[in-house]
Amino acid sequence: MAEVILRNVTKRWGGFVAVRDQSLTVKDGEFMVLLGPSGCGKTTTMRMVAGLEEPTSGDILIGPNRVNDLPPRERDVAMVFQSYGLYPHMTVADNIGYPLKLRGVRGAERQRQIEAAAAKVELGDLLHRKPRELSGGQRQRVALARAIVRRPQVFLMDEPLSNLDAKLRVSTRAEIKHLQYELGVTTIYVTHDQIEAMTLAHRVAVMSQGEIRQLDTPEAIYDRPADLFVAGFIGSPPMNLVRGEHASGVFTAAGGLRAATRIAGHRGAAMLGIRPEDVTVAPAGAGDLDASVYAVELTGDSVLVTAQAGEARLIAKADRAWRAEPGTTIGLKLDATRLHLFDADTTRRLNPE
Amino acid sequence: MRDRTLKYLLILPAALIVLGTTIWPLAVSLVTSFRDWRLTRSLAPGPFIGTEHYVIAFTDDPDFANAAMVTALFVLIDVTITVVSALGLALLLRRAGVLQSLTRAVLILPFAVSPALVGISFRFMFNAEMGVFTWLAGVLVPPLQNFVWLADEWAALLVLVFSDAWRWIPYMTLVVLGGLAALPKEPEEAARIDGATELQVLRDVTIPALLPVLAVVAILKTVFALKMFDQVVTLTGGGPGAATTTLAYLVYSIAFRWYDMGYASAVAWILTAILVFLAIWYMKLILRKPGQT
Repeated sequence: MAEVILRNVTKRWGGFVAVRDQSLTVKDGEFMVLLGPSGCGKTTTMRMVAGLEEPTSGDILIGPNRVNDLPPRERDVAMVFQSYGLYPHMTVADNIGYPLKLRGVRGAERQRQIEAAAAKVELGDLLHRKPRELSGGQRQRVALARAIVRRPQVFLMDEPLSNLDAKLRVSTRAEIKHLQYELGVTTIYVTHDQIEAMTLAHRVAVMSQGEIRQLDTPEAIYDRPADLFVAGFIGSPPMNLVRGEHASGVFTAAGGLRAATRIAGHRGAAMLGIRPEDVTVAPAGAGDLDASVYAVELTGDSVLVTAQAGEARLIAKADRAWRAEPGTTIGLKLDATRLHLFDADTTRRLNPE
Repeated sequence: MRDRTLKYLLILPAALIVLGTTIWPLAVSLVTSFRDWRLTRSLAPGPFIGTEHYVIAFTDDPDFANAAMVTALFVLIDVTITVVSALGLALLLRRAGVLQSLTRAVLILPFAVSPALVGISFRFMFNAEMGVFTWLAGVLVPPLQNFVWLADEWAALLVLVFSDAWRWIPYMTLVVLGGLAALPKEPEEAARIDGATELQVLRDVTIPALLPVLAVVAILKTVFALKMFDQVVTLTGGGPGAATTTLAYLVYSIAFRWYDMGYASAVAWILTAILVFLAIWYMKLILRKPGQT
């Protein structure tokens, strides 16, 4: 087990910059999730830690050692791939045992370790099958078992759940979290799924266009997004963002929205953010502003109400029994303690002084 | 109903051509192989003599035994060299990057040369007085300075293999390169991370995954090597002695030098039987569903 440190790492392909001057420290035993849309550089970052890509500049450290010049086999990491990366001609047992075989673990001892790893991911009965005879979920378990059969310094997981169906994804997610807790191995996990990031991570690095936009705990990223990108990317449905003007602690937007912000210093164009669950529906005239119902969607545990207020369209989360016809005028109440304000020019978050 | 008739009517011309140019000659030669027909005696086919030609071939003909041996040796050496070289070159070219499209274009060139011309070129290059290879071999290995390649039984066979390998290796390299390009990258990357050296990745992951492609290459090359004829005619003439007389060349000699049509047909059918067996095996292999490998 070890710390992983990236120091000013850049990766360029010709003129395209995949990762830009990135610095990141993953603490010993930490579960770090790299989150971002496709093409943001998260997978490239992980592949550079694995040694499958060479950084154009910067240093990568695993534990005390600079590993830039080491091939993957000497870095002592284990990786789980999105499309499993199993050896198709080997049985499940041989797949799991391959890292042991390469390290000279023989005979009964190898068998014992294979069975122990298989038992941890509940694969015991399938050891003699070939990968093609397994379902997607079972294949990913084999890949997990192959990763945990030796104790590597670092686990690398590249979207391990995205090829699984929704139900299996939830149960496998919990298993990965439990395994990492039990083994305590430093883990870097790449995903574009914010729910995976929120549920699994000790800390999340939200990436966009080769840069880390925010690195913090899931709570902090949800409650205090650092900029408009993070605010819009995290949360489902996404945060409501309304363009307007901010002056002397008050935000105003066309359509009658006014909100006190407790931010004195900023003056000029701004974006007000508020999450759907922090907006409540009220009778017309009884809220902070009036709006016209645009759509009502039942999601099961709640109702999403989309309402038009001037040019802005806001989503509110209402009780699952709530109903209204489109066009009805309703009031919307904003939780004043949960407002986010962003500078419209820099896109950065503005914090109360 | 009319549609059905039309369907078969449209196929008819093609079917007639195949029947006339392939099936008919095959059938005639099969029948001929059971008859005594020597052009030196009569222009008309002679009486049926049963399986006598086949019995002679397998029990009482040193020329057939020699040609079978030469062909077997040629196939073995040629196929081994071609498969190993094609695999090696493809693995090297796999990382050629931008240069790959250029190398692909260059690689197809030898295959565009007519095999008869390949034989003629190689005869010049191995000419005892002015051949460039004769000279090169003499410079690199001085004892070979005055060696007459095409006069030595083993050397002549190797030169024949060399000429055929030169023609085929680049093309088969392209086939293997295609196979490599179709392999998923993850298993190889997983092996590298699991602790394998590049050589172990090759042995444990890449080659096993490539086996179906290599099998296709080997079977195809075996089929083509078995019918080796053009370069024998233009490069060695079957000699020295009968050291490079392949089965295909023997059939030609029996038919058009000794004018024994009946026996030539029988030997041709023995070769055909082997080729058909390999062709069926090949079809089974390439028609197999993916994932069954």
